[in-house]
Amino acid sequence: MPRKIKIKIDELKSELGVIKNLELNIGRIIEDWEEPEGQYSMPKVYELRDWDFKLLKRYKPMYMPFCDLCCLCTYGKCDLSRDKRGACGIDMSGQQSRIVLLACCIGVATHTSHARTLVEALIDKYGRNAPIDLGGEVYVEAPNTRLICGIKPKTLGDLEDALDYIETELTYMLASTHTGQEGSNLDLESKVFHVGMLDHLALEIADIAQIATLNFPKADPEAPLVEIGMGSIDISKPVILVIGHNVLPSTSIIDYMEENGLYSDVEVCGLCCSAHDITRYSPKKAKIVGPMSWELRFIRTGVPDVIVIDEQCIRTDIALEASRYNMIVISTSEQNIQGFPDMTREHPDVIVEKLVNREIPGAYIHDPDLVGEVAVKVAMKVYPLRKKYKKLPSVEEVIAYATKCRECQECDKACPHSLPIMNAIVAAKNGDLSLLADLYENCVACTRCEKACPVDMPILTMIVKASDRRIKSEKYKIRVGRGAIQDTEIREVGSPIVLGEIPGVVAFVGCPNYAQGGKEVVIMAEEFAKRRYIVVTSGCAAMTLGMYKNNDNKTLYEIYPGVFDAGGIVNVGSCVANSHISGAAIKIASVFAKRKLRGNYKEIADYIHNRVGAVGIAWGAMSQKAASIAAGFWRLGVPVIVGPHGSKYRRMLMGRKENEEDWYVYDARTGEKVYVGPVPEHLFYTAETMEEAMVVAAKLCMRANDTTKGRAVKLTNYIDLHKRFYGTLPDDLPLFVRVEADIPITMKDEIIAFLKEKGWKEKAIPDPTLLEEMVRKK
Amino acid sequence: MKGAEPWQTAEIPGPIKAFVISEPARISSILKSARRPLFIIGNRIDKKALEQGIISLIVDIAGAIDADIAVYGGIYRDFKATNYDKVRLVPSMEVIDRVKDENWKGFDGKGRYDVIIFLGFPYYYEWLMLSGLKHYGDRKTRTLSLDPYYQPNATISMINMDIDKWMEVIKEIRSNLLGGE
Ligand code: SF4
Ligand code: SF4
Ligand code: SF4
Repeated sequence: MPRKIKIKIDELKSELGVIKNLELNIGRIIEDWEEPEGQYSMPKVYELRDWDFKLLKRYKPMYMPFCDLCCLCTYGKCDLSRDKRGACGIDMSGQQSRIVLLACCIGVATHTSHARTLVEALIDKYGRNAPIDLGGEVYVEAPNTRLICGIKPKTLGDLEDALDYIETELTYMLASTHTGQEGSNLDLESKVFHVGMLDHLALEIADIAQIATLNFPKADPEAPLVEIGMGSIDISKPVILVIGHNVLPSTSIIDYMEENGLYSDVEVCGLCCSAHDITRYSPKKAKIVGPMSWELRFIRTGVPDVIVIDEQCIRTDIALEASRYNMIVISTSEQNIQGFPDMTREHPDVIVEKLVNREIPGAYIHDPDLVGEVAVKVAMKVYPLRKKYKKLPSVEEVIAYATKCRECQECDKACPHSLPIMNAIVAAKNGDLSLLADLYENCVACTRCEKACPVDMPILTMIVKASDRRIKSEKYKIRVGRGAIQDTEIREVGSPIVLGEIPGVVAFVGCPNYAQGGKEVVIMAEEFAKRRYIVVTSGCAAMTLGMYKNNDNKTLYEIYPGVFDAGGIVNVGSCVANSHISGAAIKIASVFAKRKLRGNYKEIADYIHNRVGAVGIAWGAMSQKAASIAAGFWRLGVPVIVGPHGSKYRRMLMGRKENEEDWYVYDARTGEKVYVGPVPEHLFYTAETMEEAMVVAAKLCMRANDTTKGRAVKLTNYIDLHKRFYGTLPDDLPLFVRVEADIPITMKDEIIAFLKEKGWKEKAIPDPTLLEEMVRKK
Repeated sequence: MKGAEPWQTAEIPGPIKAFVISEPARISSILKSARRPLFIIGNRIDKKALEQGIISLIVDIAGAIDADIAVYGGIYRDFKATNYDKVRLVPSMEVIDRVKDENWKGFDGKGRYDVIIFLGFPYYYEWLMLSGLKHYGDRKTRTLSLDPYYQPNATISMINMDIDKWMEVIKEIRSNLLGGE
């Protein structure tokens, strides 16, 4: 593979004379980007370490170890409790940060292999020179790539340079977790940030490659509405269910149907991000079942005839589950073969026959183009044979199961959400299924309860049966993922965001491991949209937002516009589309504020941290990918809040508002160090309740650069939410009021009296930066 | 001891595990001996216990030993309504972060807490907070889980028990500390 060679000479004196600022690039990318290159193109971890350490000084790791031990090598197990060290010398803090780094490396590896697979396949199909066009109004097409790699990708082929960089860096970072390597918890944390940054690059590459070639919506605020929910699936036809994140096998299903006039003969639906992306590809034909927590629910209805799995967040026991209902599974990704024979080189009809006749347990087909034909043909053939499997147990059968219950409570103990399962089973024994139905909302369909049950009670199936009316009514509308944010939108909102007049950008992202059901995410998103924040969303969270209706029978997507503006609810798309959220923040710095982007990570992150009031809420974050996505936001100085289960990431990044010395910045105008208050107060935070998350999110949107008008708007929201839940003014209010003009006008008297009582003093409003080099006057 | 195994499946503890005490009298004397006690209360107290007035029992216990109560989320208003003057509105993560810091002198600035009592959180969430304090807290600070579950990361924990039994225990602790019913 040709490598890029870069030679940079600041000054060369030779016999021929003096050469200044010479830059030579040999290799694949031929640059015609007039923007001068910053210092940090394709940076090594040590080049950005001082920025990381500035953040880590403010936001110190707070560890909550899951266990006292380390068992990573054969020296161990080692007891690391309290201040002990393992045989290799590592201590508990190092170990916890090492585990966070490992999790993030897994996340990045997953997104990178996804991106690599897509780019290679799309280059094969569309050529290395296929242009990257993300929509007429998207001029900064790849903000993460420009910022981190210092390149401006024009074609699919250009993306390979960025992928090479990620793969190299990721290998270094993973190597740091080996026994006898990095022992400093703070250096491990800096590496966490580094892989987080790489993650957003991988996400961006994956999404822009597919948007550019697969005719996805291109930054369209009016991307179409599509159907979501089990009730919207037409079960009078053969049903193909796609699960995962890599859309290519799914597109071949749609293509095959279209080419063969089978469009109305087969139902195609999806779970998780493949569902997002298949509806971006074909909003007319494809439907969404729901987020990943709907996987077993849907399978237990017996409806899918064929399941096509690709990669990530797919149940590893999918083949076992499917076999109970005589469903056919086709695996398509080398990351997830599932023990099936490789049938890629066989004739499609041979594969179809073997699958339909059950001669093979499933088929692994790694050529996405072949998948469509096989899946459609199999679905049509097995559909008439599978009708008897497409039903839930009867009420009598549920009661009969329930009578076997020994009331041992093992199910309750196994349930990660501590749902009152045993009581529901006991009620069912007596003919009352309503308590089982009550479990539906908060159950994530993990089946830990079933596995624990000594009498093999099919608890999830019973819950699903008890909820069958609700399931039939699961018919909603979601706006398909629009992809990037337009430069024109950024220009419009850049000023109100940076000045603080739009109170913030709140991103609802991540997985559906909600402690109290998805409804909470809907309530939070609507609250912020009503308050005229910009609400963005992606992944499973974006689906959750589409799965509840208001009294007018409408989902949030039917009520709020998809524009990146105050009061919009913007579904950017699948997990990989999270790059457009970080991308929007980066574009505010470049498109609106005209900061140089190219290889200029520190300055841009400093800009975002001090000026862009954005916060992520990953209310049901579960995966390692969610960890690496969060880490990418951390390095940009954007705080992330997780729900209660997020505490299991075992390390928070917490600010201490009372430690005055932590909250100084430079005033870029004078070089003076100025106290700005704890803005934003935390970088990674677990909230126990939705009420807590809302108040904290409103608070975390404050930034050092807010104008007085902007700060007043942000304070109005913070105070208002605080008062609603707690009935009082927030105690820490004096830290956020810098001058009297910051005080919301409607509450002026009350707040002034409060501030007086607390001994408040006026503070300066600087042109804030954490970087000494950004000071203009030395 | 029966009931002294982790309530939630797969939450395997150790090597350092809680000292198990379930007798109300012994818990009462631990509480009584506290110089600077702090309650940290969550939003997942059992519904039945709430209906049976557990909040006023907790507040009585806290009052008897002059304890601060740190609480946040929806349940704050219930505690506030008791008019107990040492109810502190503070999120659980923020209080854990401070409690483990040797320089933090408590909500009133009068010194570190020596007994920290947990109650009402999701099991795993309390497990993690307790683990944070087990490894990073001051050795002289003792944590006590008053939930009806065995919480091995606490210094002292009760055993798994049902809600009726738990209410009895809490009531008995209250009457030990305050006298009367
Ligand atoms: S990696 Fe270190 S702490 Fe972990 S088991 Fe090996 S020697 Fe022990
Ligand atoms: S399937 Fe539902 S009820 Fe069963 S353990 Fe998982 S979340 Fe709990
Ligand atoms: S685990 Fe099974 S037998 Fe035990 S209480 Fe639950 S349903 Fe009944």
